[in-house]
Amino acid sequence: MTGTGVAGLVIGGVVGSQAFPREVPVEVAPAPEEAAAPAAEEAAAAEGGPVAGYTLVADPTRCTGCMKCAVACAEKWATELFPEETKEMVNLEFSRIRPMRFQYVDVINVCHYCQLMEWAEGTDKFPCEAVCPEEAIHTVPEGEGKEGFYGMGYKWIDRDKCLGADKCWRCAEICEEQFASGISFDPIEKKAQACSRCGGDPECVKACPEPLALQWVPLMRNGRFYATQPAPSAELLYRKMYNRRRTL
Amino acid sequence: MADLKGMTGKIARVDLSSGTVTVIEPEEEIYKKFLGGSALGVYYLFKEGIVSPDVDPLGPDNMLQFMIGPVTGAGANVRSVTVTKSAYNFISIATSGGQAAAELKYAGWDGIQIVGKASKPVYIAVIDDNIEIRDAGHVWGKGVEEAEMILKAEVVAELEKREAMLRDADLTPEWAALRPIKGQGMGNKRLASVWAIGQGGENQVWYANVVTEGARAHGRYGPGAVMGSKNLKAIVIRGTKGHRLADKKTFLSLVDAVHQSERQDYFWRSYGTAGIGAASAYVEDSYPIRNWQWCSWADPSVKLIEGPQMDMASFVKAQACPGCVLHCLFTTEVTSEDPLMNGTMTDMPDWEAMGMVGGNLGYFEMEGKTPSDPYGGTHIDQAEGLAKMQFSAFLHDNYGLDYIEGGALLGLLMELRQRDLISVDDLDGIDLKWGDVHSVDAILKKIIAREGVGDQLANGTWETAKYFAEKKGKPEIMNYPVTTHRYGQPAHDVRSGGDKNALEYVTVGRPSEHTGGGTAGFVQGDYAAAIAGQDGKCATDSLVACIFPGGHMAGKTVDLIKAATGWTDFTEEDLVKVGARQYAMTRLFDIHTQQLTDPKEQWDKLVPHRWFYDKLPTGPLAGTVAYEGNPDKLFNEALPAYWKARGWTEDKGIPTLEKLKELGIDDIAGDIAKQHL
Repeated sequence: MTGTGVAGLVIGGVVGSQAFPREVPVEVAPAPEEAAAPAAEEAAAAEGGPVAGYTLVADPTRCTGCMKCAVACAEKWATELFPEETKEMVNLEFSRIRPMRFQYVDVINVCHYCQLMEWAEGTDKFPCEAVCPEEAIHTVPEGEGKEGFYGMGYKWIDRDKCLGADKCWRCAEICEEQFASGISFDPIEKKAQACSRCGGDPECVKACPEPLALQWVPLMRNGRFYATQPAPSAELLYRKMYNRRRTL
Repeated sequence: MADLKGMTGKIARVDLSSGTVTVIEPEEEIYKKFLGGSALGVYYLFKEGIVSPDVDPLGPDNMLQFMIGPVTGAGANVRSVTVTKSAYNFISIATSGGQAAAELKYAGWDGIQIVGKASKPVYIAVIDDNIEIRDAGHVWGKGVEEAEMILKAEVVAELEKREAMLRDADLTPEWAALRPIKGQGMGNKRLASVWAIGQGGENQVWYANVVTEGARAHGRYGPGAVMGSKNLKAIVIRGTKGHRLADKKTFLSLVDAVHQSERQDYFWRSYGTAGIGAASAYVEDSYPIRNWQWCSWADPSVKLIEGPQMDMASFVKAQACPGCVLHCLFTTEVTSEDPLMNGTMTDMPDWEAMGMVGGNLGYFEMEGKTPSDPYGGTHIDQAEGLAKMQFSAFLHDNYGLDYIEGGALLGLLMELRQRDLISVDDLDGIDLKWGDVHSVDAILKKIIAREGVGDQLANGTWETAKYFAEKKGKPEIMNYPVTTHRYGQPAHDVRSGGDKNALEYVTVGRPSEHTGGGTAGFVQGDYAAAIAGQDGKCATDSLVACIFPGGHMAGKTVDLIKAATGWTDFTEEDLVKVGARQYAMTRLFDIHTQQLTDPKEQWDKLVPHRWFYDKLPTGPLAGTVAYEGNPDKLFNEALPAYWKARGWTEDKGIPTLEKLKELGIDDIAGDIAKQHL
């Protein structure tokens, strides 16, 4: 494989071998020099601005399902994409993060940035990216892309290229069949939407009222991110939290 | 259709007999007068003649309504309300948290009204404008937990469901070799919400409720029985149309301000209603123990009714309603040495269950001891008591039963056994003893199936007491149902006065309601304040908003309504009047549907004997009874004074025609009032 491929852009901060941490790490392993975060980034992180090389960590055991993340996300994108149509409207369908309430557990459903492996699947793209016939899904390299987005290897769906859900839903289908359910379609143009981590300064993290439920932390990566569909995620959470084997 | 904001201007009326859906479009003036939620629901009970004594609560003519209000959706919390005629033949208004309320707004509806009766079990699927009546044979007979999760998966938004499009050729050859396409398409999202009944509602147990998210319920006055009588198992909703707001920016900034305030609220955020446990038992002396024979343990060692202690023993995680950051519900996993209970997944439970199917059933005393004795057990013994309480709450939730009325019923039966007023044979051989969770489990199975004596018990506490008083020829049995207006008293006693004044229960708009508002006014004898509190609560149920964050919403509620609706001239007074309208109509509803000729004697005096004649035996306020043991003070002094302050007649407590005119409801309620004045 060619290094970490796309992830080489994503990893700007720390390389670690831990699973998702439960707490914000106070100490981080010294990063390889070439991957060290520039001083500007560190300053931005301290001020709460966009940072590259960070990642979204969600802890469903701490999520209460209050939906503040979804409202914040929906408002950001509705206002940006459809300011006129949504001037008098709050609509969670614009949100790219959708907590799903199962009894006694909440699943934080958002794109996990899972990625294929060249030696296994023959490509190191995102699965949704790999099956898109229009090459509408891509990774924006660091330092490029949307104004205000720092650029940290974020996923972006080119709405001009996307065919829309009436014609094509391959990205969402592959996500749901083999990975999670991180793609949705906006209710107006029916174009695909997925989390782009707000280019380094996620609104959901800022809106979340629960400590440690949603974190924006230095990237810790062990080869590949994995994701699980909503109902199976809930089944796993039942096992973890209630020692309960439940089939949904 | 009026171009409304906040509201959608549409109510769906589903006729299960004919299988048709009609869209009701109320005038904007109706919304301004009744807002939504409970007040709008009561308006329709009058408008459609449900108030008539001829309408059988469990017949096809009764109308069951699920209503929401102008701030439901993107508001600072989310709540729905059921409004119907109860099987007990009085008004049934019950609110519940949970996402379904928001989902209904997002689907484009201000309410769903169900009339008629389906010929076989069905559920209603609402996906935006599209409402379908679907077969529910596969979930009929199941508990609410299982039924909800099955139905949730069956209702998916149009944009979220697609046939398979991918082929192996869309993948790389290596990928296709490892994981070929299964061809299942899309449909994994689980964003629908469900209101469902359990076996209790299916078999029309009078106090059956409507549950969502496993442990949230439109809990009281039996909306589940009405739903079951219509062969309706559930309503499943998925809405994608959003919440339309006149001034979105202001609305969202008000919501945010409420949240900022809530984030400092350590009471709710720490333990939810479990936070009030020790105060109720050991300060206010008003916690139910053994059917209210005690309200406090002599030995304050019993502590697993208290938030921090319960948390240590069992809380797993916090859950919130959408739009709220108080997360008052904590999920739990029951841990017990008893395999019946061990591993049950439930909630903490909520305060009322902590009382009514907790202490009330004698779960916290050691074998052979009474609440007057030293405790004598360990922390593990208490944890087993907690397990019994949580398990009993789970049973009621999963069967879809109101655990307040249910706890009152079980407490009554246990006390009648304690006093040897009924025998084991009277309960079909079930030996119902204090603290015996296995016999509770057994008797509940009979109740939900209406099997044997269960068929009688399913009609609730008061009817059960009457049945046994007659059957056994023992009129003294009527001293033991702890009910007001024929419905179980919630976990707040009135004898000590530390929690509630008895007049509050006598005057509440809904029988035996513990959240009727005005509590401080009643305790202080300030009836104007009490009335303002009651009307305010009715207005809150019309919004529909939750009372727990009331302090955080104070001063912002009217602004939220204005920002949602665009009614720039809407005032605080208008809001209170919404509540006053509902309150007056509720009173008329109860009097008219029961055809009461002397409401005070036939209705208002239906309070627990225990209030006046059984002194509190233990605790800081031991020795007290309500109104110094003199019912005349309550019924002949306080009650007429309260009615006078309301502008109602002092002999019967009926809103006068002038009062109805002042409230602007003489057109809808005047004729009925005239029949009873």
